Amino acid sequence: MTAPRPRRPLLRAADEPQQAPADTPASDEDTPTHTGQQHRVYSCTACGCVSKRTADAPPASTEPLRCPRCLTALHHRRPRSLEQTWAYTLAALLLYLPANLLPVMATSSVFGSNQHTLLGGIHELWVSGDWALALIVFVASIAVPLIKIGVLLLLLVTAQRQSRWRSQERTQLYRLLDAVGHWSMLDVFVVVMLVGMMNFGNLASVQPEAGLLAFGAVVVLTIFAVISFDPRLLWPEPQRDTLTTAPPA
Amino acid sequence: MNTPPSSPTAPLLREQANWVVCDECDAVHQRIALGPVDVAHCQRCNALLGRGHGLKVQSLLALALAALVFLAIGNLTPLVSIEMRGVRADVTLPGALALTWQAGQPGIALLAAATGLVFPFLMIGLRVAVLWPLSQGRRPRYFVPAMHALRWATLWSMVEVFLLSALVAIVRSAGYGTVVPGAGLLAYAALTMLLTSLTAAGLHTLWQLGSTLNEADASPFTPKSVPGNIPATKAPA
Repeated sequence: MTAPRPRRPLLRAADEPQQAPADTPASDEDTPTHTGQQHRVYSCTACGCVSKRTADAPPASTEPLRCPRCLTALHHRRPRSLEQTWAYTLAALLLYLPANLLPVMATSSVFGSNQHTLLGGIHELWVSGDWALALIVFVASIAVPLIKIGVLLLLLVTAQRQSRWRSQERTQLYRLLDAVGHWSMLDVFVVVMLVGMMNFGNLASVQPEAGLLAFGAVVVLTIFAVISFDPRLLWPEPQRDTLTTAPPA
Repeated sequence: MNTPPSSPTAPLLREQANWVVCDECDAVHQRIALGPVDVAHCQRCNALLGRGHGLKVQSLLALALAALVFLAIGNLTPLVSIEMRGVRADVTLPGALALTWQAGQPGIALLAAATGLVFPFLMIGLRVAVLWPLSQGRRPRYFVPAMHALRWATLWSMVEVFLLSALVAIVRSAGYGTVVPGAGLLAYAALTMLLTSLTAAGLHTLWQLGSTLNEADASPFTPKSVPGNIPATKAPA
């Protein structure tokens, strides 16, 4: 992220014009792009190998073809991606409540014992003057999980409706989710470290509490939700695509 | 998993090496050669398609070996030392994990152990295991499963998050006693930087390299032994 990105344009595949770009009336907003589905070309999501279905392959097989390089199943769109993402997202939303309402840790010292929720810990940082740190922890532990769930719901609903609305911006949102996802694990590590550091028996000690487990589960579930979502669902193929139509009646 | 076909059939897929298909929007592009500082983005959705990354296999191996050393130091030496009323405690990540387990939250201990210790270790160890033979010009027979595992280990390894959280924990406990950062913290900081340069290139170039080299010996995972996945009997008449 240091150097300005020199964006070399990659040429569109001009050979093999199966659907002449000229007769496709300019679809909605994007210029007619050649897609892998139109050309029956797959890019392996695991290893990046690009392979093309040959004439010997059955046109519509129930069993997916496997990447010639790494044997990963190949799909133009990941099957059952939306169902899986819905399940993970709703589970995360459900656990977000106990994660924020239950205490994540308990401190005890000679002055007595105390239970702390996530917001309480941020408040503590804020009043002690570490407002920059309080802001970081607030973003990582409260804002990011909530924004993640919100964005996931937006992506899910629009992908389900096969919306063509701002596909590029929605893909950008997906990439953002992918990039920030694991930072929410910050709080889990902070408490584990505090448990390790504050281990002076009656003098001062920190115990982890159940809210932290719920919080960790929210983080893991949202990461699973993001990796099961196929961003290509944000780019629906044109309806007139003849390659995927139902068998003739 | 499907069973490998018994009889060789005509290949159902042909590699299309001169094309690039965007993983995020399915747009097809022609592959071009990238210079050392070039970054290729998808014309349709702006996804990162590739970097002209300069690091050679030998350099990647050196970085991975260094990362392995720093990970060991980071876990064997104290991250911080804290002193309170004359009592001094050295804190290591395994120690903190053990205390969390004993405090009645084994789930949290396992989650933190997986993302802060096990997956980082797997990610570095698997890289060494793959890069070492590749640097000698041969492809290990565990190449394909190791590379798949490496992809998952990279996804779930959260070294940089752990580093930041250790700093947050130091600040939050500063009022209770004298807190001194230890060698382990420095090792984790170095590890974070090494991993950034190690993972920047992504795994696709390694896959590419591995597929061009000869296998050390035959194995069920060598793709060349798999002509297609659908048995010949299923092909349309």
